[in-house]
Amino acid sequence: MNIFNFKKIASLKRMLFFFMGIFLQIVSISSTSLCQQINFHSPQNIKSFADFLFCDKDYLRAIYEYEKYLSFIDDDTIQFKIAISYSSINDQIDAVEKFKTIKITSPLYEESKIELLKSLYLLNVNSQYFTYADEIIESKSRYSINAEKIKNTSRLLLNHELPDKQIFLFPFDENEKKTLSNFYDRKTNPSYKSGIIAGILSTIIPGAGKIYTKDYSDGITAFLLTGLFTYLAYTNFEHNHSERAWIFTAAGVGFYTGNIYGSIASAQIFNAKINFEFDEGVKLFLQEKNYFTPVYDFCK
Amino acid sequence: MIFVNKKILALIPLLLINVFSQNSKQQQYEYAYNLYVQEKFFDAITELKRLQFFDKENTFSFQTNLLIGKCYKKGAKFDDAVKYFTLAEINAKNDSEYFESQILNARTNILRRANKQSERILNKLLDDSRFIFKTREIKYWAGWNFMFSNQWQKAYQIFSEAGLDTTLANLCKSVDDKLYSEKFAKYSSYLIPGFGQFYTGEYISGVLSLGWNILFGYLTINSFVEERAFDGIIIGNLLWLRFYSGNIQNAEKFVIQKNLQLSNNALEYLQKNFSGEKP
Amino acid sequence: MIINNKYLLILFFILQLIIYPQTDWVRWEKSDPTYQLKNSFIEREYDLSIESVSDIIVKPIINAYWFFVSDVDGANCPFQPSCSGFLVQSIRETNPVQGILMFFDRFTRDTNIFGRQDHYPKFDSRHYYDPISLYTLSETKIKFIPANRIVNKE
Repeated sequence: MNIFNFKKIASLKRMLFFFMGIFLQIVSISSTSLCQQINFHSPQNIKSFADFLFCDKDYLRAIYEYEKYLSFIDDDTIQFKIAISYSSINDQIDAVEKFKTIKITSPLYEESKIELLKSLYLLNVNSQYFTYADEIIESKSRYSINAEKIKNTSRLLLNHELPDKQIFLFPFDENEKKTLSNFYDRKTNPSYKSGIIAGILSTIIPGAGKIYTKDYSDGITAFLLTGLFTYLAYTNFEHNHSERAWIFTAAGVGFYTGNIYGSIASAQIFNAKINFEFDEGVKLFLQEKNYFTPVYDFCK
Repeated sequence: MIFVNKKILALIPLLLINVFSQNSKQQQYEYAYNLYVQEKFFDAITELKRLQFFDKENTFSFQTNLLIGKCYKKGAKFDDAVKYFTLAEINAKNDSEYFESQILNARTNILRRANKQSERILNKLLDDSRFIFKTREIKYWAGWNFMFSNQWQKAYQIFSEAGLDTTLANLCKSVDDKLYSEKFAKYSSYLIPGFGQFYTGEYISGVLSLGWNILFGYLTINSFVEERAFDGIIIGNLLWLRFYSGNIQNAEKFVIQKNLQLSNNALEYLQKNFSGEKP
Repeated sequence: MIINNKYLLILFFILQLIIYPQTDWVRWEKSDPTYQLKNSFIEREYDLSIESVSDIIVKPIINAYWFFVSDVDGANCPFQPSCSGFLVQSIRETNPVQGILMFFDRFTRDTNIFGRQDHYPKFDSRHYYDPISLYTLSETKIKFIPANRIVNKE
């Protein structure tokens, strides 16, 4: 009986060890497999997914994910990246708001200031923009010179008086000075055509005003048309077809005066074109220089 | 006995790891699919991209790419949809997956009117011996492709073949019967100004064209008869020729407009009232 | 030739990859496809409204011209708005005298077939865009659009 009991206990013990073994196995298995399970919405994973989206230029989704991450952990760099994302999808209003939230203690504080200036520039070149530029210039930060460059360049886009050329060119380096000096000269001394001169020229010789405003073929056409109708009117008067003659005279006068009018309009359009091309050139220059903002390597 | 058991036990963790991690991905996929069903396509794409990002073994590549493509298709972003259907095709693991992605690709191309591309895909599938039993489906979409590329005659042929779809066959036949002939309108207007306009039912324009052409034709010929060659050349060139060429231009324009109207009516019916499967 | 096509396809694919993220830069919703094709012809819009004294004289003449002549003499005007439409609009915008001067100037430019490509922006595949606002002699109204750019009406 005793022996039997002992045997039973021994076998029970063995059974127990066996099941404990299984239990331990299962615990270890499940813990390892839990490690293998992906928690798609853990802060760390949200961040790495957001980084992927950001570098994939899928900015709007990146913003959503970064915002989710920020609800767990506050991080200035992430704020900055959200702002950059807004700026990249040309939502400058939200970009400005975001750049403003970067704290002064952040290592990206100075960058956020210059980026904010760029966003303001893309929004609207106005007085608020210039006071902001002055703030950066006076703060004597790493980007003060760049802010001054942006400020001076964008002054070319307004119709206010420019400072002295030496002062204007001061912040730029030698390479940039060449371009900027050219811009400065074109702004202060634009190669406009005068509407009055165009009108007078066309009054003297039909079409001459349009040749003066570089619409060569239009000028020649005007000359030929006026000439043709004058000739037709003249010959018809000569042959006593007075009805026809008067029609041709009216048409001739119409073309003659219309061309004087058109020459004045043509000079105005010419000047509008000069302004347009100048502004485009300045904007392109700022863009090519990447608005003088630093290049970030978030995606390396 | 125990020894054997231990061997089996050692295998269990490996199996389980796979099952569990697969599970979380499956859950993520189902989550995204739910968003797709709820028509939240933008968010569905975000979740699918998330799954793709963490799915390093590419087990879900086909499903995710296909569903992203479907989302874009529902948002009428066909160019993006085509891109993802192509990615799904690259990641297809078997014939039926390959077929599904290709057919969706073809259907999207029909919708964005890249008819050549769609035709190429469908012809490739038709020639593929693996999909012989799918011929009817492929031909059905080929018919849709013809309807979208304004080839109603060909669409009719394909739909009526072996009774593929009698409703669509009848529709194509009725459109094809009503279509005006561009060539007939043009050449008849060469002979009798205004005739092409009469043919398309634009009677007022036809009468005006005929009237101007008779008037200036008469004046031109009259000038030559009265030996006023200069007047004849001027009237002939500046006036008669102008109205003569305008007459031909109009005949052509009316045919194009009327035909466009006819096919647009049919397409509108297909979009709004047709109950069968659409691309 | 085949290789060229392949390269083209690859290039097309790469281009799509570069362009693609922009679709998702704005949140979008479900959208039904449009089955119908667009009519690319410019429809004649007869203008019967009378807004000033000069309209009483000018409008009937212009409408009659459109109906009896312009619509049946082929597409001759390379501009949008057309010459007759330009006359109506310029008289409305300024006054009859200035409007007629503007019309003569436009007619001169219409007769000149050279250099249009480098002078006017495009309206669509068949027409150049030449709006009234450039010619009213009011500098603030001039919105310069460079040549070769396509102007969307919307």
